[in-house]
Amino acid sequence: MELSDNTSKGKVIASGIIPFAFVIIMMAYIFGPGADLLDLGIPLPEITIEKVDFVDSEIQATVRNTGPIPVEVVMADVNDRIHPAAVEPDGFLERYETALVRIPFDWNEAEPYIIGITVDDGTRFEKEIEAAAPALQPTLDLAVFFAIIGTYVGIIPVMIGLLWLPFIKKISKSKYHFFLALTAGLLLFLALDSIEEAIEVSDESLAGSFNGALLVATVVVLSFLGLYYSGEKLVQRASSSKFAKPVAIALMISIGIGLHNFGEGLAIGAAVGMGSIAFSTFLIVGFALHNTTEGIAIAAPMSRGKLMIGKLAAMGMIAGSPAIFGAWIGGFVYSPFTSVIFLGIGAGAIFQVIVILMKWLREEGDKNLSSASVASGFAVGMLVMYLTSIFV
Amino acid sequence: MILLRITRSNAMILLVSITVALSAVVAFPAISEAQSEEKTFVTHSGAVVTTSGEVIDPLYTESTVDFDPDEFLRNFEYGRISTSETGQTIREYTIIAEDDGVQEISPGVFYNVWTFNGTVPGPTIRATEGDIVRINFINNGSKEHTIHFHGIHPAGMDGVFEPVGGNGGQFVYEFEAGPVGVHPYHCHVMPLEEHIVHGLYGVFIVDPKEGRAPADEMVMVLNGLDTDFDTENNFYAANTIPFYYQHHPIQINTNELIRIYVVNMVEFDPINNFHLHGNLYKYYPTGTDIVPSFYTDMITLSQTERGIMEFEYEYPGKYLFHAHKVEFSEKGWVGIFLVKDNPNNSQELEYGT
Repeated sequence: MELSDNTSKGKVIASGIIPFAFVIIMMAYIFGPGADLLDLGIPLPEITIEKVDFVDSEIQATVRNTGPIPVEVVMADVNDRIHPAAVEPDGFLERYETALVRIPFDWNEAEPYIIGITVDDGTRFEKEIEAAAPALQPTLDLAVFFAIIGTYVGIIPVMIGLLWLPFIKKISKSKYHFFLALTAGLLLFLALDSIEEAIEVSDESLAGSFNGALLVATVVVLSFLGLYYSGEKLVQRASSSKFAKPVAIALMISIGIGLHNFGEGLAIGAAVGMGSIAFSTFLIVGFALHNTTEGIAIAAPMSRGKLMIGKLAAMGMIAGSPAIFGAWIGGFVYSPFTSVIFLGIGAGAIFQVIVILMKWLREEGDKNLSSASVASGFAVGMLVMYLTSIFV
Repeated sequence: MILLRITRSNAMILLVSITVALSAVVAFPAISEAQSEEKTFVTHSGAVVTTSGEVIDPLYTESTVDFDPDEFLRNFEYGRISTSETGQTIREYTIIAEDDGVQEISPGVFYNVWTFNGTVPGPTIRATEGDIVRINFINNGSKEHTIHFHGIHPAGMDGVFEPVGGNGGQFVYEFEAGPVGVHPYHCHVMPLEEHIVHGLYGVFIVDPKEGRAPADEMVMVLNGLDTDFDTENNFYAANTIPFYYQHHPIQINTNELIRIYVVNMVEFDPINNFHLHGNLYKYYPTGTDIVPSFYTDMITLSQTERGIMEFEYEYPGKYLFHAHKVEFSEKGWVGIFLVKDNPNNSQELEYGT
């Protein structure tokens, strides 16, 4: 009995491994020594200038080898004029390896520059900077400045939005459903917004080899699944006590919004970092207006439970404070790749929240998602977000 | 079946770890081994910069280059000399075309050059007016090539309608050298631009029978290299290697006649020019006249436009010469004359005696 059990287990394992073995053999055959089967075409070098920093009498470009073959960075130019430069740690880049190219150059503030990097086969790659601005130094003053901006953009508007709670508490069930659906609409807009932003960043600064749109899709789905799974567990546990379920949902919403606000912080920090100060002022005002509505999203599910000011404030912090961290990261250590990932995670988190909200709405609203209050709430949510987004 | 019981804190940890793991995977700026040795380099504006990495500078220090602009500068090929039955001097040359070479044309930049006798530009062929020039042309390239001389010769020697096949095709160009002056020669196979910009060109000098005044003579081919094939030159130079004569100044003497045979072979850009510092030169367009047309420090040259410049420096020191189309000079077409006191000065300068 035990023996046959073991042999059948062995068979299962073997049948699982055999295909893998064949894959390995096939790979070895194709890529192995002496195999010239796929030796056709000429791989072209490709590098991407991911970031350009303007520091004291120097322009610094971060380059990444995003092509199929190793390359050597051999020359740098500014506005198509060759300059002696240094490349640290060295000019030889394996696939996906990065290096810092330091070009001594007395640049002028607010002027546009095109930074060019030439590799060993003579191919030149360039990146255009609309306006040169000094790279932000991570000083305490600046960190405080970003924290204040983050507070204005994230925490305060969300807290203001939470003040709608007493109002939502007093309204009828169908009006309440309207507000829940409104929340879902708001969130859907935010998710789409994050995805758009992520794809934009990847188009601008990430090489084609990262498959920008697919990278975003993958991160969104993974983030959704991860949060969906852990969120379900959280709600399951919460449902043991009656009033805690709305709290759990509100918490999920705050986390999703927090991840989203992190992305907004990134955008603001990066905009300040890239010297588009006027642009970032608009961003700040726009996001602040926009984020007031996020407070409603948190307040809506909480309104049916007991009034818990402490929890509510904590959720406001969870939703709002990531804007501060985002601004720090965006301003001081901006990397397009990380931005894309965070924006993707944010979008996935929001989708998960929307699903949970819709489920809850369905349960609350007698298994009906097509009531006038739900439909109109959803639509108004999207519209409000669109209108406030125009300010950004 | 084991069910993982997930507590609230577990859920949060899971959430956080997903975030952290994703961002860690993402922010993996692969950094190769840092080199600890500090190096310094000098910028174009004279600042000294220190780096722990590598210096990337078009400063040409390689000793293994296939092409030496210093050697090319003052090298003239007079050919294998014999006399014909009618008493004419015959100058015989062998020129081999190749199109598979890859040369380092600026530090670290490798480019597929097409060459006459292995270099860009090809050899400077020099004859006296009326000499018979005989070129045994061998095409060892993979494509068809020819040599088309500017100058006066029979139609059949024009190197246009007689393409010479690759892999050993041969042709003998024979004509009487003329007119007096400096002329380019280049391959004339279509697509012509491609054959020229890859490097199939050189200089052909025809001296007057009575000769020219003794001078320190040199050849400068003004050329460009489009290394990424976008029909814009990535590099410009006098004699192919960008910035070469800036880092390896051409040494000349005070009060010595300098004669430069200048040929503009730059493609893509309509004009090129030549500006000399601290001096003016007498300019003989195409070198066909013995009376200079201009006394200037700036001439403009269109495609294959060429001429002879003559000047002397009175004061020792370093003098730039470069394209005053500054884009070209900042991409390599810039050099320095290092003028030294003439050791023979004391004997020559005996004014008023």
